[in-house]
Amino acid sequence: MRPADNIEESIKKLRYKTDVETHKKVLGNVLEAIDKNERQKSGTIRPDIWRTIMNTKTRKLATAAAILIAAIITLYIIAGPFGTTASVYAEVAERLNRARTMTYKMITTTPEWMPDMEIEVAFKEPGLMRMTMAGGYVSVMDAVQGKGLSIVPDRKQFIEIDISNLPDDRGQNQLSTIERLRSLPDSADEELGTRVIDGQTVQGFRVSEEGFTYAVWIDPETRELVEIETEMVNAPGISGTMTDIRFNVELSDELFSITPPDGYTRLGLQVDASEASEDDLIEFLRLWSSWTKDNTFPPTLNPAEMAKVAMEMVKAGKFGPEQPTSDEVNLDDTMKVTRAVMFLMKLPAESNSRYSGENVKHGDAETRVFWYQPAGSETYRVIYGDLSVKDVASSDLPQ
Amino acid sequence: MLEDRLLVWRFKRGSRDALRAIYEKYADDLLTLAANLLDDKSGAEDVVQDVFVKFAESADNFRLTGSLKGFLARCVANRSRDYIRKRKRRHTAAANSAERKSAEVKSPVQLVINSEELTKLTHAMTELPYEQREAVVLHLHGAMRFRQIAKMQKVSTKTVQSRYRYGLDKLRSSMNGEARR
Repeated sequence: MRPADNIEESIKKLRYKTDVETHKKVLGNVLEAIDKNERQKSGTIRPDIWRTIMNTKTRKLATAAAILIAAIITLYIIAGPFGTTASVYAEVAERLNRARTMTYKMITTTPEWMPDMEIEVAFKEPGLMRMTMAGGYVSVMDAVQGKGLSIVPDRKQFIEIDISNLPDDRGQNQLSTIERLRSLPDSADEELGTRVIDGQTVQGFRVSEEGFTYAVWIDPETRELVEIETEMVNAPGISGTMTDIRFNVELSDELFSITPPDGYTRLGLQVDASEASEDDLIEFLRLWSSWTKDNTFPPTLNPAEMAKVAMEMVKAGKFGPEQPTSDEVNLDDTMKVTRAVMFLMKLPAESNSRYSGENVKHGDAETRVFWYQPAGSETYRVIYGDLSVKDVASSDLPQ
Repeated sequence: MLEDRLLVWRFKRGSRDALRAIYEKYADDLLTLAANLLDDKSGAEDVVQDVFVKFAESADNFRLTGSLKGFLARCVANRSRDYIRKRKRRHTAAANSAERKSAEVKSPVQLVINSEELTKLTHAMTELPYEQREAVVLHLHGAMRFRQIAKMQKVSTKTVQSRYRYGLDKLRSSMNGEARR
């Protein structure tokens, strides 16, 4: 075949001749330019997430979005990917069971309208957790006492957290990540082969569980856990990655102190640590419809889109005027949103969940807003516009 | 896709290895793209270098919303246009085509399968009006959709499709030895 006969394929064959020296030169120039750029920068500038969030008009939702992303990813990211018949996993699992402390960094990758967040996390037996974010925002949780403290430095506030409904089985405690790590499923879905992370060759395994997909990367030589990535089936656009994972690092008890700093004012927050349920979704639907002028439900329940949609609706004048509310009320609203999202994100694909609440008004008893099939149930749970719930046969629902 | 996002994330956190990995992954394709757009070896290298420098400088604010390769290809295309504009001005001012002739003598584009026909095609590409060549090269080497090229060229998708079609027709004619304008 002559080139003219298949001109497109022929054009694709017109390649640039590559040589090592060219690449060395170009890449060298690029790195040099970066060095120069970094020298010119004075200090590290990070977005002040909390201030940005609290200053926005849609602070309830934006705050909720930020916190839910941080919380959900932090609390769930490592909830599944360990334990397999592969010996490399077995050793990692064993190390986890022996660990008294654990530290790691977490980066959350979010839709473009939200800033990415980097969180440093530390755990210490029994049931202590500390999260540090840019700007000096620190949160400490004590799962044994059921208490927590969150510090908001630029507002000179601290949030005193009271955690209720902590399960007796701490392996089920969503606030005790290291315990969740120890109660992970015992098999991976597939092996991902090897890749190089910062010069280190690692072996990967994929695990899918409860709406989350995890990729776990382990150094086959040292059996060290190098990285965990997760994506969420029900929240496309949100992902998280855990790196710099260390076990049995010496951690002072002072790091986990829940004594507030002097000169800070107190806010109270009740955190319900029980499994999120459809009641939480109903409460969120009630809350949203109270914000909209026409009492309609949200156009979407996609967690990755919800706050963005809310901001667009504010601009379009679809929300009523924001009533002056206390920070504590805002925090409570945030928890309501977070728990609803936790429920949605954990719904497996087999639940066949569906949302059709756009433009439906609160009070419309005839219109279905949301339905899903609970595990083991032959019928669906259907939430109507008046927020009543009924069990409905599959044949009575739209396909 | 996930691998690219992680590379970007690591790079944003200051990992040189990540930037190196991104470069090594896409440099050949981007250099090929630039070389086919510019027909100028040093120009292609300058463009790709500039694109990576800008990419590095914008690391703090950069967000990967689509494919990394697509993003970098668009940057190369935009940078190549700037380069062409500057080159035109330079040539006009100097009134000396020596530099250009030099570039024409030895095309930076090399052939995977060396043949007289493909050498002919290389030269035929340089004869295309830039908009047509850009449409052809971005579509075939940059894997860009006509819609994306249209946005870049600030014309309708139909216009880009026409430019692409006319470009291919001219190349076929050149390859068949037909004298057309």
